[in-house]
Amino acid sequence: MATAPSTFEPGPDSFVATDTYEVGERMSAWEDTWRRLRRNKLALVGMAIIVILVITAIVSSFWTPYDVWRQSLGPTYQGPTGKHPFGLDDSGRDILSRLMGGAQVSMVVGVGTATLSSIIGIMLGLLAGFYRGWVDTLVSLLINVFYGLPDLLIVLLIVAVTQQRGLGNIILAISLTAWLGMARLVRGQTLSLREREFVEAARSVGTRDRWILVRHIFPNALGPIIVQATFVIPAAILFEAFLSYLGFGVKPPTPSWGAMASDGFRSLQYAPHIILIPAAALCITLMAFNFMGDGLRDALDPRMRR
Amino acid sequence: MVNKGETLGIVGESGCGKSVTALSVLRLIPEPGRIVSGHIWFKDRDVASYSREELREYRGNDVSMIFQDPMTSLNPVLRVGFQIKEAMVAHERFDNKTADERVVPMLQKVRISDPKERAKNYPHQFSGGMRQRAMIAMGLSNEPDLLIADEPTTALDVTVQAQIIELLRDLNRDMGTAVVLITHNLAVVASLCTRVIVMYAGRIVESGPTRQIFNSPQHPYTWSLLQSIPRIDSTQHDKLLTIAGLPPDLSNPPPGCLFHPRCRFRVDRCSKEEPPLEEVGPEQAARCWVLMKNALAGAEPVR
Amino acid sequence: MSAQDSHVKQSPAYEMALVRVEDVVKHFPIGTGLFGGQAVRAVDGVSFEVRSGETLGLVGESGCGKSTLGRVIAQLQPATAGHVFFRDTDLVRLHGEKLRRMRQQMQMIFQDPYASLNPRMTVGDIIGEPLQNFGIARGKERERRINEVMRTCGLNPNFIRRYPHEFSGGQRQRIGIARALVLNPTFIVADEPISALDVSIQAQIVNLLEDLQDRFKLTYLFIAHDLSVVRHLSDRVAVMYLGKIVEIADSKEIYLNPLHPYTKALLSSIPIPDPDLEAQREPILLKGEIPSPVNPPTGCRFHTRCPIAQFPKCSEEEPPLEEKAAGHRAACHFAGQL
Repeated sequence: MATAPSTFEPGPDSFVATDTYEVGERMSAWEDTWRRLRRNKLALVGMAIIVILVITAIVSSFWTPYDVWRQSLGPTYQGPTGKHPFGLDDSGRDILSRLMGGAQVSMVVGVGTATLSSIIGIMLGLLAGFYRGWVDTLVSLLINVFYGLPDLLIVLLIVAVTQQRGLGNIILAISLTAWLGMARLVRGQTLSLREREFVEAARSVGTRDRWILVRHIFPNALGPIIVQATFVIPAAILFEAFLSYLGFGVKPPTPSWGAMASDGFRSLQYAPHIILIPAAALCITLMAFNFMGDGLRDALDPRMRR
Repeated sequence: MVNKGETLGIVGESGCGKSVTALSVLRLIPEPGRIVSGHIWFKDRDVASYSREELREYRGNDVSMIFQDPMTSLNPVLRVGFQIKEAMVAHERFDNKTADERVVPMLQKVRISDPKERAKNYPHQFSGGMRQRAMIAMGLSNEPDLLIADEPTTALDVTVQAQIIELLRDLNRDMGTAVVLITHNLAVVASLCTRVIVMYAGRIVESGPTRQIFNSPQHPYTWSLLQSIPRIDSTQHDKLLTIAGLPPDLSNPPPGCLFHPRCRFRVDRCSKEEPPLEEVGPEQAARCWVLMKNALAGAEPVR
Repeated sequence: MSAQDSHVKQSPAYEMALVRVEDVVKHFPIGTGLFGGQAVRAVDGVSFEVRSGETLGLVGESGCGKSTLGRVIAQLQPATAGHVFFRDTDLVRLHGEKLRRMRQQMQMIFQDPYASLNPRMTVGDIIGEPLQNFGIARGKERERRINEVMRTCGLNPNFIRRYPHEFSGGQRQRIGIARALVLNPTFIVADEPISALDVSIQAQIVNLLEDLQDRFKLTYLFIAHDLSVVRHLSDRVAVMYLGKIVEIADSKEIYLNPLHPYTKALLSSIPIPDPDLEAQREPILLKGEIPSPVNPPTGCRFHTRCPIAQFPKCSEEEPPLEEKAAGHRAACHFAGQL
């Protein structure tokens, strides 16, 4: 600590304050978000479930208690036993193993769709919002056209046209319906962010358009984008299950929660576990993602900021 | 302490507690804030002892307040005249009919031209200055003894600010309403107030008659503040004196005098003990161990 | 004192115009359809020059168009008509890459130190962005230049990896100034750089701007509504009212001898922090409100509020901005009569 002059010396700023309050606590915006997310119990539960799901999905790709496709492991329609904790299905396959395999399909479809639809939506949204004019008109038209078409129709068309029912195809099909929300969100964010003073400041120091998009607009829209993407995952998982239930999903020996539920529906009255177990898994998964999405939204909501 | 019919200025930077002080006078501290200790006396009664009903009477009837942003205090979907009338009816000092008749003269009193027509306007049809006048009209409609104006001119242009200051001055003179002006602008205080309180980090650091404070400030903060603002009438170009550093974080205040980390005149004692607010001249008090009269002895004050 | 001497600028370069604004017009069209064809005439035919090495203060009340004018000069908004010459280049005619290259020479300091810094970038990245944009310095060299400019602006270089929200308002404004300075520009448009700051912090920034001007021979266009600060900082002052410049002169001259009645009213409205002086002053109170820039008054735009307006001359004939004394221009039929 400097000793203060007892008389005033008129030199310009020869005096330096003992300034211990110069900079506040070090915390980035993301740390701040994480701190608030941690306080949200439901979101934490959701995240824990998601972590378990992801681990299950990874493990299932090289190990399941029984092979997912192997039939006649025991009596068909057998209820839960010590050997098969979730029982066997109508072909005598181990439900636990198939549930694990199904988790993998769900995760891949969910994350894949969220990624692909986000890429499409973010690119189109950024371009439309930033350049406005005819680009915006075109993108908005595209959004409205797709919005007018029923999702199921689009997906069925894709599946019918490509004649393939692989995972990639399913992801592509669902993404083509899921990008609308993302594009709208990003377009709106971009429209408001491009008027912000720091964007003007970036332009005044000679920043090129593409860097303004990448460095200034995109990172500041990232919060809402993550929230939106988080909500796309459960929607895609549900859609895939729905498609598989209808028989348009992944090809049969591959386990899918929707197909499993569909199989179980026929034996609902005498072997309810076959439908209940995948349905419960689906419910828990959807809730977990929704809890996390809600938690993220609250944690990122600028209105809750100081 | 505010005397009957006087104009008191409370000066300080943002976050120094000047607005909170005013809100506590009205017992309007927002949650989770609390008045921890101390008393607020109004006409020889402690405001803390008021019942809910008395408190309602007291707010608006005895004391009213106007804020920096008049738009947030006016309801956008109600006519201005109606809102002024409501303020009177709510406090039951005037009956419906008298209140109705008083609206136009009130608007006239705050110098809104064409008051009859203007009373029928909605707030958004008013300019910033007119809204502030309408707020003043509302505040004065119940003939309070005290009007607290919290940064009433900060959001306004200088020519409009001059009009509002003139208006407050005239109202104070003609109606005898005491005015407490809360502001960060020392020049506004100099032009309107007879007495000044200077606040820093939630404490009164100096108080006294305006002339005393401006001509012979005793607290280094007051002195530095006066040296740091450029004056429109200065003829030579001197470097402005700056107050280094930032106001303290009040959740973690420095020991001793709260201003000592930024003070040019501090001595060892300043960082150890907090000085009391002591009489330093006729009606003037300052919270400082050193005091400017001692600090400047031997050195020419720079102007 | 040395600071005083440096403000007496007598080099021949001082008289040379660095930026010349000619008949600049900026209209914002409002409403299509029902109100089609209407426009907010924010800047409506403005000409002046900024001399090399000087500070030109641009003052006026809110809505007079001063910030818009600043942005048009800095080419952040396209002009509706007119020219902005920087040395001999007409900036209005530049587009794309050529305009971007010109930005190295002129920079802007913004009013709101909270809104003008990207919250997701570190201080180092914010200050380093201009260098990156023009490929000027890389790696260690870039770091060194960022450190240097931070120190120049009174920022601790140890905080280079911090985010803007960790700083106070005054320090953020220093970051904004460092960003404007890092390219070594010759001309800086400062748009109300201190009005969002606390009183005790304002003087720090004012002094910093002065020091930087002395050190780097900068030319400022200083936009503000606070005339006391403009008086303190500027060599010359231009006063704007409703999209037009009504008076422009040396800052001492304009304060001692204002010719336009609006300037005079503006000056008399500013309180002085001295109760004895205040007791003697009587502000000239203007009547009415500032008219809408969508539909400005005919003739002299100030005639609706002017205490000395004579009709019908003032309401019909628009007074030109003419030289009334050496270097002192005013747009008034009855200049100096108030």
